[in-house]
Amino acid sequence: MKYKILTNSFTNRSKQLLFLTLAIGMLSTSCKKYLDVNSTPNNPTVVPPSVLLPNTTIGIAFANGNDLNRATSALVQHIAGVANQTAAYDVYNFSGAFDNQWTGEIYGGAVSNLVILINSDSATSPAYSGIAKLELAYIISVAADIWGDVPYSQAGQGLKFESPRFDKVQDIYQGNASLGITSLFDLVKSGIADLGKTSALKPGKDDMVYGGDLTKWARMGNTLLLKFAIQLTNVNPTLATSVINDVITGNNYINSSSLDFAVPFGTAVGNQNPIFSFNNVNRNSDQMLSTRMLNLMKGLNDTVRLGKFFTKPSGSFVSYDNGSTAAIPALATRSRYNTYNTGDRSGNTADGKVGGDTAIRLLTYFQVNFILAEAALTLGTPGDPNALYQAGIKASMLKAGMTGAEVDAYFTSNPTVVTLSGTVEQQRQQIITQKYIAWVGNGIEAFNDYRRTGYPVLALVNNPSGDDPTTIPTRLPYTNTELSTNVNAPNPRPLTNVKLWWAK
Amino acid sequence: MRKHFLLLSSCLLLLFAHVFAQSKTITGSVTDPTGKPVPGATVLIKGSRTGTSTKSDGSFSLNVNEKAKTLVISAIGWASQEIEIGSRTAFSVSLTGKENTLSEVVVTSLGIARDKRSLGYATQNLKGDQIADKGSVNLLNALEGKVAGVNITGASGSAGASVNINIRGITSFTKSNQPLFVVDGIPISNDVDRTNGGPNGTLGDNQPANRALDLDLNNVESVNILKGPAASVLYGSRAAAGAIIITTKKGGGPGGKSEIIAGSSYSVQNATGLPKLQNEYGEGLNGAYATTTSSSWGPKFGSTPTVANGLLVGGVAVPYNPYPNNISEFFRTGTISDSYLQISGGDAKQNFSLSGGYLNQNGILPNTYVKRTNVKFTGNTILREKIKLGASVTFTNTIQNGILGGNGQSALGVLWGMARSIDLTSYRTKGTYKNADGTNNFPIPNTDNPYFDAYSNPLKSNLYRILGSVNLGFDVTPWLNVSYRLGIDAYTDRRKQIFAISSGRVPTGQDLEATFFRSEVNGDLIITAHKNDFFVKDLNLTALVGQNINQRLLQSTQVQADALAIPGYYQANNGTVFSNGSNESTTLTRLLGYYGQLSFAYKGYLYLEMTGRFDQSSTLPKNKNTFFYPSVNAGFVFSDAFGITNNVLSYGKVRASIAKVGSDAPAYQLSNTYVSGGYGNNVASVSFPFGTTAGFGASSRIAPLTLSPEFTTAYEAGVNLGFFNNRLSIDAAYFNTVSKSQIFNVGIAPSTGYSTKTTNAGKMTNKGVELMVTVTPVQTRDFKWDLTGNFTKIVNKVVSIAPGVISFSIPGNAFTGSIPSIKVGQPYGVIIGGVIPRDSATGQRLINPGTGLYATTTPNQVLSNPNPEYSLGVTNNLRYKGFSLGFTFDFTKGGQILSFTAATYKSRGAWAPTAVDRDKPWILPGVIPVAGGKAKTNNIQIPAQAYWQTLGGLQSEFNVYDATVFRMREISLGYDLPSSITKSMHINYIRLSVFANNVFFIAPNSIIDPELNTQGAGNIRGLEFQSAPNARTIGANLKVSL
Repeated sequence: MKYKILTNSFTNRSKQLLFLTLAIGMLSTSCKKYLDVNSTPNNPTVVPPSVLLPNTTIGIAFANGNDLNRATSALVQHIAGVANQTAAYDVYNFSGAFDNQWTGEIYGGAVSNLVILINSDSATSPAYSGIAKLELAYIISVAADIWGDVPYSQAGQGLKFESPRFDKVQDIYQGNASLGITSLFDLVKSGIADLGKTSALKPGKDDMVYGGDLTKWARMGNTLLLKFAIQLTNVNPTLATSVINDVITGNNYINSSSLDFAVPFGTAVGNQNPIFSFNNVNRNSDQMLSTRMLNLMKGLNDTVRLGKFFTKPSGSFVSYDNGSTAAIPALATRSRYNTYNTGDRSGNTADGKVGGDTAIRLLTYFQVNFILAEAALTLGTPGDPNALYQAGIKASMLKAGMTGAEVDAYFTSNPTVVTLSGTVEQQRQQIITQKYIAWVGNGIEAFNDYRRTGYPVLALVNNPSGDDPTTIPTRLPYTNTELSTNVNAPNPRPLTNVKLWWAK
Repeated sequence: MRKHFLLLSSCLLLLFAHVFAQSKTITGSVTDPTGKPVPGATVLIKGSRTGTSTKSDGSFSLNVNEKAKTLVISAIGWASQEIEIGSRTAFSVSLTGKENTLSEVVVTSLGIARDKRSLGYATQNLKGDQIADKGSVNLLNALEGKVAGVNITGASGSAGASVNINIRGITSFTKSNQPLFVVDGIPISNDVDRTNGGPNGTLGDNQPANRALDLDLNNVESVNILKGPAASVLYGSRAAAGAIIITTKKGGGPGGKSEIIAGSSYSVQNATGLPKLQNEYGEGLNGAYATTTSSSWGPKFGSTPTVANGLLVGGVAVPYNPYPNNISEFFRTGTISDSYLQISGGDAKQNFSLSGGYLNQNGILPNTYVKRTNVKFTGNTILREKIKLGASVTFTNTIQNGILGGNGQSALGVLWGMARSIDLTSYRTKGTYKNADGTNNFPIPNTDNPYFDAYSNPLKSNLYRILGSVNLGFDVTPWLNVSYRLGIDAYTDRRKQIFAISSGRVPTGQDLEATFFRSEVNGDLIITAHKNDFFVKDLNLTALVGQNINQRLLQSTQVQADALAIPGYYQANNGTVFSNGSNESTTLTRLLGYYGQLSFAYKGYLYLEMTGRFDQSSTLPKNKNTFFYPSVNAGFVFSDAFGITNNVLSYGKVRASIAKVGSDAPAYQLSNTYVSGGYGNNVASVSFPFGTTAGFGASSRIAPLTLSPEFTTAYEAGVNLGFFNNRLSIDAAYFNTVSKSQIFNVGIAPSTGYSTKTTNAGKMTNKGVELMVTVTPVQTRDFKWDLTGNFTKIVNKVVSIAPGVISFSIPGNAFTGSIPSIKVGQPYGVIIGGVIPRDSATGQRLINPGTGLYATTTPNQVLSNPNPEYSLGVTNNLRYKGFSLGFTFDFTKGGQILSFTAATYKSRGAWAPTAVDRDKPWILPGVIPVAGGKAKTNNIQIPAQAYWQTLGGLQSEFNVYDATVFRMREISLGYDLPSSITKSMHINYIRLSVFANNVFFIAPNSIIDPELNTQGAGNIRGLEFQSAPNARTIGANLKVSL
């Protein structure tokens, strides 16, 4: 019916054209609005620091506990890789590896967001920028210790530096004013200073480690200084000594295992720590206890602690020699990471289904004791090396879950193990060996000490391959993606047998 | 916004709802001299482009205006006829003699029917009977082997698995390279929606469908493939990758006759391409029996007769025997039943068609099926002789149930790698694949029983789709037509992926509920003017202006319930963790287009056409969101122009075109965002929130400061030749396309803190040759043999990417170590991974002297290239009286596939050759480097297991296979009951046919069928991650027309 009415009212051609023009005109004016639909409803474009901080904190812990940990734990022979990538790492084959670590975990996960926190919160909410500086110092040290020269002063800043410079390890640790590189020491000190300033926003539960207690972060910062300092014993003992002396004088570092800088994970799917996620959920059969670790611990009668570190499903330790081609023991019998690293709330380890809530330990009280023991022994800093050494062992044993009575029994029956003796170098070997044992689950720290001191003495794996099958790698290769996209990346990359600046 | 849109649409509809002109409908039938109907004959109004083609019964109906004087009726193989229309409305045309021109009406851009001789570019038309009743469920499968210039590859024979199609190569780095699908003038979605269930995500899910699966093949009248930008330019940026124009069957028999067509087919399917496996050695490693390995490196059968193989069936250990069919028996005989009914009636003025179809496919894999229901109603009417009104609505329900594939814990992943001594079948027959509590039962720890995985961890998709359109046409004056067409395509796809507790991939169980809603609204206003004798006698002009409005919306919601509390109960409320993967996403894209076309035809032999289109896209920066692209094409029928009339050359035409087509950006590329935090991959991962703590981080992509469209410029030249009265015809084309200013996320140094930045850069070229040859070698009164062949060769090259960038990975999921990539100097989509270094002097692979194995691979090398060198297809149709025999075979030369399945056969010691000389030492071919000297030939002996495990590395160069394959694609034999019988029963025809599809293949250089592509439709090709095999289909079909 409508058609008819319209037909009757528009009978001549000009009116039709007029109407057409009007309609098209209407259409054009509304185009702008019609097309204005390109703001994403799916993702925020601005976020508060309280959601960035948890992400960076988990990021640095995940970077420590994931593939870098698997590679370094195999290199220091805590574990033996028996399948897939871990088996390749075991024999020094890192082909195509670590892109996820460099890209997703370190630079894209932690560093970029730490830079955002530092840049946007230094002025108004320095509580956040302070924590961010400490976390940045930590994660950059991990990268620099693993790869050597790495982007630092120009890293994580997006298009501002499209090919970030690879800062030299010595410049990262010691700073280089002419290149605009702040030393890790100064970065930490600046972070600690920020923590003391008035802050508009302060972290609460979004601080997953210390619940917003900034005094604990200051302890974490000072402990970080200790870790950085001890790394320089071969190359700058003067700086190392002065930093350690200052920290001891300040007396504000981690002085109890309850203050450890350890990032918590959960039992919920998707919140489980990467050691559990790998070993107990996704790649059950890829890695197990190394025979070399087993032999070392047996030699020290330290099997109670080893039992806390590794499982004994068949009643005894079932290990595998690194790089061996022998038959791999049945999965059900293998000694694998125990609850100390995988976490277990229910006490049910048989099926490996519940767990994942162990914190990833980044800085610990036992570590502080071993650092101070070594510094007192070799740098003459305050403290009794032997007492600190014993405090380190005890802290580790208790942390691992041994009872006080078990610890005492061990000390009573193994006086030569728990007492420093011999030359300074022999005593140092004792300290580092115990530190190495204590670090089961954190291969990166054990790998750092091994390269710096040569302890414990490790033999080549069976059937080595990789860049240089005659030496244990002393650094990991840069990732292919960085090499192919950054014109400032060292080309060709240094081989894995090229020692780092601070290495022995 | 929606309000505006509706308002505008209704304005536009009203706009031309007020003008009328005089027109009438004519109907008729076309027969050969013996009285047999001639389907597909062209009926054109002389001097216009209004026309139609005859139906299968030879009938036609056509709406003509009062100025129309003459009909031109032509059909291949016959001389064309001209008939005065006068006052007649019914025509009976009997064809005679031989034709002297090739004439065919094809549906081109915007649904405009055109005489093919006037086109300056290549298109290819397939009739419904070349598609239906051949055993294909997905339209794209039915096109395989039949179209020049097109690459079509199915994912697998899994029910509903997607099919990839690329027309004239890949032209966009990261956008979709699938052509636009248009049904009766309405663009529809052919998207693939992937479900990211479990840690392997899309690398291990069931292969989802491309949405062309929803089309009922029985209802397809014709498919026209618009190959280059010149052909599809009026569709604008949406058709940058070409267009598939589908015309469905309409109602309206001649003279008001109604027609009922009923058809039914039933087929069976079987898995094909299973390789030959050994049956001499069973489960174990290093020659020793082991209960917990999937490998067949154990002792020889018969050597340890008392060893139980670890498989407890009903608590009883079964002997250590080979089970030669343990893999092949996993595949069942699939069935497809397909029924179709179409009722049409009315005359050419008022007609309707109602059709319904139901297809039920039970796939070759257990617990897989596709059930598709289609109901369609179309009605057309002509009001007051001048207004053509039409509406159509199609309702589809497609249900797809599938099982998991892929590396790691999946039914197929475990199946392909299973030891030869595992009696898998008994788990099915005895129902022991799961324990009493519903958990997995398999002797190998942390490994899913394939039957457990198939029955306990399926992915189901339940899709409801509505496709509706209205169109309206006015003959304002005899020379001016205004039409409007509005269409909507919308579907909701409810997905449910479950993982039972104890599943290898998700041990704590999962219920994933995902919903995809897609809609596309498209409106076209088209004004066409036609003028004969435009200034010059015999110069005809057709001018067209149009306006297009398009909106696409994708909404997806997903709830992922993890860590299920109650076994066997799959509801979101059974989960205890919801933070992983639960999300919601909305993507809205809008486009406005304005276009024009000027076509000149001089004396029916010289054609020139120019088009131009402006697009405005919501996805581009507001001040730079308009882009223009033109095209020009010309055709010259020199045989007519020069009056060539001899017995050898009967028809000759040359044609050329240059066309540019622009393509906008994906939505939401212009701002930097934050995303919910997460770390890791399939071996270990975390994601926020942690408990009640949320975590966000900057997106790894940096937004561009500005963005401009992608452009592809295509140059095409072609020739159509007809010889011997067109008994032999050749249609050849050469094309060269240059794609520039690609929009993609280019990789940047990860140490910037970001992985990519969105940019406009890069250049890629495609050069190609297409050839179509049609021959009728024999033609007698009773016997006719038609042969059509097609040949395609496309050379793609990535010329540049971005300054300083030599390669980057194609977006999508992939395994580190075999990354589908875009690499400068290489064709699109090469797989990049590690390659064993070679000795520079001998070219031999280097051996590690310590192990006798190969040296560590050099990363970032081209591992394989999925692009074929060329492909050809040949279709034969032989007709003798009521019998017709058709068969299609195709041949693809070159291209490569990286196969995880083949790798597993070797590394697990299952492939037949791994049993040969197993107890003897083996030496890998290669050389041992000698310091300062000539490398010496490797002489280090290694066990057979080490040898085959080396050659069976999943991502190694040894598992790249040449994809050269010859395939008998289709055979069909039909029989039409003689009309003498049917006529007495008042039946138009009864047609009985039997058919076979994917009959057999010969792939001389590959262990598996090289036409498998785990990721199906998309830009990633040439990877096979333990996916389903292909299927052979054999069936029969009965069709009756009343």
